[in-house]
Parts: sequence; C-alpha cells; structure tokens
Amino acid sequence: MSDLVSATGAAARAADVLLRAMGGRTVMLRMPAPAVPSDVTEQLGIATPAFQDIALGPVVYRKARAAVAEGKAAKWELLVSATVVAGLVGSLTYASASVLFAAAYGVLSDDELLEIEAATQEQVFGQPYVYRLVLRAPLEQMI
Amino acid sequence: MQNAKDTFYVMLQSRLTALNPSRTIVVRGVVRPGTLVEENELPSAWIPVDTFRLQWTELQVNSAGPLPLVSMGCSIQYVTDGSSGNGGMDRGRLLAAMDAELASALGAEPHTIPKMNYSAAGDGVAPTTMGTNVFWADPVFNAATAIGERLVRTTTVQVLAYQEAGEL
Repeated sequence: MSDLVSATGAAARAADVLLRAMGGRTVMLRMPAPAVPSDVTEQLGIATPAFQDIALGPVVYRKARAAVAEGKAAKWELLVSATVVAGLVGSLTYASASVLFAAAYGVLSDDELLEIEAATQEQVFGQPYVYRLVLRAPLEQMI
Repeated sequence: MQNAKDTFYVMLQSRLTALNPSRTIVVRGVVRPGTLVEENELPSAWIPVDTFRLQWTELQVNSAGPLPLVSMGCSIQYVTDGSSGNGGMDRGRLLAAMDAELASALGAEPHTIPKMNYSAAGDGVAPTTMGTNVFWADPVFNAATAIGERLVRTTTVQVLAYQEAGEL
C-alpha cells in the first residue's frame, strides 16, 4: 500500500485537492534570467537581468493574517502544490525545488512582491506533497 | 568613486580566485568565483556561506589636494557552517582558511592598481584604464562571532583613490 501511495503521487494529488478546496489561488513566481557566465558587468551591477513571472498555483496562505512584530516586516506562510513545483523544476531545468526557490527573486501576490525567506517541504515516503514558503513583505513596509 | 569600487572588487576577486579556484558560488544558475558585492546582486534573505561578501560602508572625500582624495570603507563578511560531511566540526578550519586567503590577497604586493572604468565594458569590450591608481590599507580582522553553529567574521579595509575630473 505504501509503495502504491509513493509511486502514484497520491499524497501530492490529495494535497492539491485540499489546496483547491481551501480556496486555492494563483500567485506569480518572479524568476530572474540566468546569469551570464564571466560577465563582469553583471557582477558590477551595470547589466541587470530580465525577469519572468511564472504562475504558481494552487497555493493557499496558511493564515489570512500576516505575522507582525514590531520592528520587523510582516510575514506570511504560503502552501504550494508540490505537483506544480515538480513541473517547474523540470521545465526550467533546476536541480531541485530548493534551488528553484533560492534563485527566485520573490513571489508576486496581489501586485505586491514578497521576498522568499525560507522554503521547506512536507514529505510522505520521501515524496514531497506540499511546499511551505515563508514570505516577507518589503522592508519599506516595516512597522 | 564607483570606478574605484569596481576596480577594487575585480582585483580582489581575481586574487582570491588565483589563490583558491575551487571557492565558487552559484548565482542564478551560473558558477562564479566566490566573491560578490552585495549591492550589485539581487536582494535576498539567504546568506551564501563560504563566500566573501563585500559591502561599501564609510565614505570620506578630502578636497585639500589638486584632486579630491576619496577614502572608502569596504566591509568583507564571510560565514561558514563547516562541511556537512564532517558534521560542521571543521568550521573553525574553514574560517581560518578564508582568513588566510583574504590576508594573502590583500597583503600581496602591489597594494595599488590602475583604476579602470567598466561602465562601457561588456561583451568583447575591455574596460578603459584611467589616469590614477586605487590603493588600500592593511585589512583589519574583527573578532569572529558564532551564531549557532555558524561562524561569522567581518574584515574591514580602507580603499583610497583620487577622483578624476568628470568621474562619477
């Protein structure tokens, strides 16, 4: 039974159903273009990369309200479908989901660019079924 | 002063790469030497380990001479968690290795290089050499601090250059 669950990705599909049932929405993952090898102007901030917004969904904010602390930017937790992340990792030829999220510039949600502070995954039998992103509001909105 | 900052960074990166070519970092899918200027990279909450990160801090301009003398503080921060294969027990040794590389790169003679203008450089276009030099003082290694299993050290170095006419 465990082999069946693991091999068919049943947990990931079940998580997708739950994310959609909980009001799953779509946000955009803002990815910078790959760096140019041995281009010193990019390292000096002269040349800047182009950006590409990629749809990420279904996703759900774990809590409707952000975690707010004095002197710190507001933070949100975003649960992301592992199915869509697996597809992005494959199509964008990243080594893993952690590399994908590390390379991302941020998550565009309701016209606000949120920085990815941490990315973790939940697993069943070694297979991720949902990713959890900790998102931080822009520092200029710090209270 | 931007030309002096660019020239110093390129000099330091090339010297550190010559000392340890295996110290690299992956930036947006591309392997680069393990030295970067924070203000030139995309903002990120992640702190790259085993990498030299330059930050430009203080700035003083002395206009007493025929050319203004610009003095800039360069803060070089590097952190290490040790090797995961060694359970992080080698983090002290890795920090010492980075200390030695930085001391060697900044201590090597000459302590001066011609200032370069990279603003028009690019694909197949070389930077232009300017009329004055960039020079720097000996580095000051501040005390290492431990944040959990992570060791952090910040080293500061004073970088000086003459501001040429019409230069940004």
